[in-house]
Amino acid sequence: MTGASSIVSLQNVGLRYGKGREVLRDVNLELNPGSFHFLTGPSGAGKTSLLRLLFLTKKPTRGLISMFGRDMASLPRRNLPKIRRKIGVVFQDFRLLDHLTTYENIALPLRVAGHKPKTYRDNVFELLNWVGLADYADVYPPVLSGGEKQRVAIARAVITQPDLLLADEPTGNVDPAMALRLLRLFAELNKFGTTIVIATHDSNLIAQSRRPVLVLNDGQLGES
Amino acid sequence: MAHGGKQIKLKNTGGLMPRSQMPLRTLMIAMTVMCYLACLAIGALVLITRAVDDWSSDIAGEVTVQIRPSDDVKMSEKLTVVAAILDNTPGVSNYEILAKEAGAKLLEPWLGNADILEQLPVPRLVAVSIDQKALPDFVALESLLKAKVAGASLDTHRRWQGELTRMGDSLVRLGVGVLILITASAIALVIFASRTALDANRQVVEVLHLVGATDPFIARQVQWQFLRAGLQSGLIGVLAGMATFLLLGISSDGPRASGLADASYGLLIGAPEVTSMTYLLFLLVPIVATLLCLVAARLAILRILSNAV
Repeated sequence: MTGASSIVSLQNVGLRYGKGREVLRDVNLELNPGSFHFLTGPSGAGKTSLLRLLFLTKKPTRGLISMFGRDMASLPRRNLPKIRRKIGVVFQDFRLLDHLTTYENIALPLRVAGHKPKTYRDNVFELLNWVGLADYADVYPPVLSGGEKQRVAIARAVITQPDLLLADEPTGNVDPAMALRLLRLFAELNKFGTTIVIATHDSNLIAQSRRPVLVLNDGQLGES
Repeated sequence: MAHGGKQIKLKNTGGLMPRSQMPLRTLMIAMTVMCYLACLAIGALVLITRAVDDWSSDIAGEVTVQIRPSDDVKMSEKLTVVAAILDNTPGVSNYEILAKEAGAKLLEPWLGNADILEQLPVPRLVAVSIDQKALPDFVALESLLKAKVAGASLDTHRRWQGELTRMGDSLVRLGVGVLILITASAIALVIFASRTALDANRQVVEVLHLVGATDPFIARQVQWQFLRAGLQSGLIGVLAGMATFLLLGISSDGPRASGLADASYGLLIGAPEVTSMTYLLFLLVPIVATLLCLVAARLAILRILSNAV
């Protein structure tokens, strides 16, 4: 498989933390535009590490990573924000900013990209409605439940309709009905061309969506 | 705005960085002290410069003719010749022949009892006021005095003037050195506080990076807090400095009780040509403090961020 048309390409990628053993070994992965994958595997298999490489907070200790046609090793640091704005990320621990309201957290990527508030206000409220948090626009994250925080984190990741969405256990804190609703949101985004990778342990979710599954086992990637 | 049939008014929380008070509060206290010290140093520099100027001007406005007694010519004759020479010298605005006792009194601190002085050949002095706009030809005057009056010499006080100027210059250099040290310490403080502020908000910075914020964007979010801290510190420091000079001025029995009190008081309340310069220099303190905080914090933040992933 070549990386010419793919949105993400990993070739023989390895990652180790400090002098420890490799948590990812010889990972090869090609994600085509508009694809939808689940990423699963036992705890400690390296799912979060792989996602860290994909949302550019870690550099591989070996191998090549290319995203949106650019070799990440040779990409100047000042160009990273341009690439990151094409990626939406949902963190397992949400990473919401506690001093900003729900509305402001969701609008954050747009604000950072320099959009004027009046141009995105309706979109943010629409998304707040979609994730069932319209009444929480002015509420600060510390008073939200885990599930509500997760929905805010998802809304923040998708507000820019990114080219690539990476989600780490995005349904881990919500009930099955909300999980399905969120899955529909991801599917909807995918229909509009967003490439999606969801790391999850939720076998029901994987079964219901019937999408290709990437399996990580002891740092090595396979497909089921 | 109307949304879903409801009027929704959103809170505006302002900047994207939380106002983490601790590092900035510490910075503000330290910067206030720095600005206060800078203010004192500036005030001292102005006082020294003015004092040296005043003393130099006093000394430069007067020369002294000294006539040593001799056995062959009477002192009164010598004084008459000196007076005639001075009368005909352009640039001499006035002169006063000091009484013999006045000369003896000047030596009293060194030689003690005035009775002994009576027996010594104490020189007579003529204090000559000169027109500073049209100075006399001192070389010609001295030659003429030496030629016509035995034992006469001219003291233009140049040695004293030179020493005074050198002392004044040294004190000014010392003051400028203190100001440079204060500025360097303030820069070090701002860099330390920038690092602490970023460390305290590491997660926020990480999230901002992940949603596509550039380093200059993040630096902008932080630097405004430093700008505010610099401005507040500068203003408080200057007000405290001005209050110190005023207190120094009025702390004695009266506002004009002593030289230092007089000078301190005169820095802020007095002749406009002095106070305007003082206020202008003091005004520079908050401006420099603000710019220093803004620029040093921005550069420090950009440097720290450039080492992040």
